Amino acid sequence: MFSKKTNELIPEAAKPVKEALVKQFGNPFALTQFEGLPTNFGDIEGTVKTVEPSGADQPLIRFQVTGLSDAYDKLQGLPLEWTSGKGQGHFSRIKEYNFETGMIAVEKSEEIDPQPGDTFLVECVRLQFGRDLYNRHCMHCHGMSGEGTGPTSRYLNPPPRDFRLGIYKYTSTKSTSKAQEADLERTVKEGIAGTYMPSFKLLTEDEVSAIVNYVIWLSIRGETEKKLDDELFLDYSQEVYDERTSEEGGETREEVLEELKEFMELDFPDTLEFATESVSEAWEEANEEAALVIPKTPRVPDTLESRERGRILYLSQKTKCASCHGPQGRGNGTATQDFWTNPATNEKYKNRGLHDIWGNQLPPRDLHRGIYRGGRRPIDTYRRLAAGIKGTPMPAFGGSLSDEELWDLVNYVMSLPYDGNR
Amino acid sequence: MGKGWCLFFLFWPIAAVVSCAMAPWIGWSFPYDNAQAASNLGIRIDGLFYLILVITAIVFVGTQAAIVYALWRGANNREERADCVHGNHKLELVWSIIPGIILLFLAIYQMNIWADFRIKKYYPEVAVKDPIAEVTARQFEWRFRYPAIGKKLQQKPQPDDLHSVNELHVPFGKPVMIQLRSDDVQHSFFLPALRIKQDALPGLQIPVWFEANKPGTYDLVCAELCGWGHYKMKAHVIVQPEDEYQNYLKTLTEQQFYDGLGKIAATENDSESEATEK
Ligand SMILES: [Cu+2]
Repeated sequence: MFSKKTNELIPEAAKPVKEALVKQFGNPFALTQFEGLPTNFGDIEGTVKTVEPSGADQPLIRFQVTGLSDAYDKLQGLPLEWTSGKGQGHFSRIKEYNFETGMIAVEKSEEIDPQPGDTFLVECVRLQFGRDLYNRHCMHCHGMSGEGTGPTSRYLNPPPRDFRLGIYKYTSTKSTSKAQEADLERTVKEGIAGTYMPSFKLLTEDEVSAIVNYVIWLSIRGETEKKLDDELFLDYSQEVYDERTSEEGGETREEVLEELKEFMELDFPDTLEFATESVSEAWEEANEEAALVIPKTPRVPDTLESRERGRILYLSQKTKCASCHGPQGRGNGTATQDFWTNPATNEKYKNRGLHDIWGNQLPPRDLHRGIYRGGRRPIDTYRRLAAGIKGTPMPAFGGSLSDEELWDLVNYVMSLPYDGNR
Repeated sequence: MGKGWCLFFLFWPIAAVVSCAMAPWIGWSFPYDNAQAASNLGIRIDGLFYLILVITAIVFVGTQAAIVYALWRGANNREERADCVHGNHKLELVWSIIPGIILLFLAIYQMNIWADFRIKKYYPEVAVKDPIAEVTARQFEWRFRYPAIGKKLQQKPQPDDLHSVNELHVPFGKPVMIQLRSDDVQHSFFLPALRIKQDALPGLQIPVWFEANKPGTYDLVCAELCGWGHYKMKAHVIVQPEDEYQNYLKTLTEQQFYDGLGKIAATENDSESEATEK
């Protein structure tokens, strides 16, 4: 449920991080949403019809409701906010829900006393729907919290995406933007050719959008966690703590904890708010028109001349395509023979060649194979060239090449699988 | 107790006949409309199945009736003693030759259907001349490659080929043929409603033809336990009138050569606007 990095913090630092995450997001079994997330909560309104009398020793209150008949049928685990009656403004967690009879059970508490006619909101219904579909179709590869280590994952190459960095490779957006919802939906529907991501075209549009909604929620949760970890890791990871309290470090346990306590009281709330806000905003902005990569000119006609111009560009120092993809586009450029440095840790990778941001070795694509992971339309190739491939060393050429040059390159690259084939 | 056994052995043939007769009503029969195949060849295959079912039913009911008769007689007549018989040459011949004749009859009778189904020489000429698509089975999805409009399917991919996944469109009312391949392990191209099933083997290209007799959307599933996601390997085969089929190919062509501008720009991120409405 929590990332490796969170678990490497000293317990005193890890605890508030975990508590904050559970408060803001709940856990995969009991979801929670909070204002400001760009994902669809799917709240629905209900009214109490009758309340079942219960003995003082019973831990649950049961009551019959109306108004939920159109709702998704599995509401167990969801938060329920009272909007009238004694409990107004308070939350209960749904412990049991029977779709057929409309009976809800919640934990008894001082603050609430449901009466017939009281109204409430059930929250995260849409999110829960997405989660259930995710658990059925995606979890066994992508894992419970989107960490990419589901039970099937170790048999797969390339490995399933870890959603928690919030980075997706094949998008229609600029290199600095997140993925659009439509991009993720397209990936779910079309699959990713050449990888183990299959097409889920038989799901309905509604189901696909619910899954994507949940995947984005998982990403935001993961990104928030990472931001909090990054804030604390340099001072309070177990390793740093050991160093600080060792003889050379010269600090006592009390000093370190006192400093941590101060940080938690003064700065942590702001850090948390800033983390979630900035992540949410980025996701929201990606769906705006301005984030899209749209060519300024239509595709340059796919002529031999255009391809030739593309080939010269491909081999030029301006693009350096050949250094990774090889002079013939076989994916065997010189860069694949070097040892590269991991930008995150500043250490050299164990293996030769390029790596992606998730730490996997990443061979440059063999352009002759005619397998287009991000889609095989000219616009897809254009976007790969203009905005790069997120999370990988494939750079964005949108700034350095003109539109015509980009299209020439597209024409050249897309002709490669067919040369010597007619 | 003897009569109890009579009832016991009487019960089974009756139960078998009744349950077979009721099966279509409770949906335990062949898939599709009134348990009838959605292709003419499929209807002939169903016919074969029913023929075998009737033959085995007659044999089963007959042998059960003989057992019941023998038990009934034994139970009612304690005086008559059973003979101990050490083989009967005539009987041996009878119960070898009669099933032999039945099997031979079935083998000869179904030969045409088998040939039409599996032997390429007997495939409908229109289908063989112009395969409509290459179907590639892959863990765990179906990928389709159509030739460009007005062109023929080539062995190797062409720049103007049309590609799609998990949704195969075919025209209605004429036999069509696909070239079946596998990218990884053994899969099986199974169209239950049309009674078509053919294994896909890595390294081989296997022609499969079918002709749907009703337009509609049919399930295409994988009938080979091909890996962990095997159950997910589902697609739709959409059988539609020729003009709708041509329209589909046109849309596919437009989508496939989409350059980010032009007229389908507005619909490109369609799913996004739909999602936000919900
Ligand atoms: Cu399969």
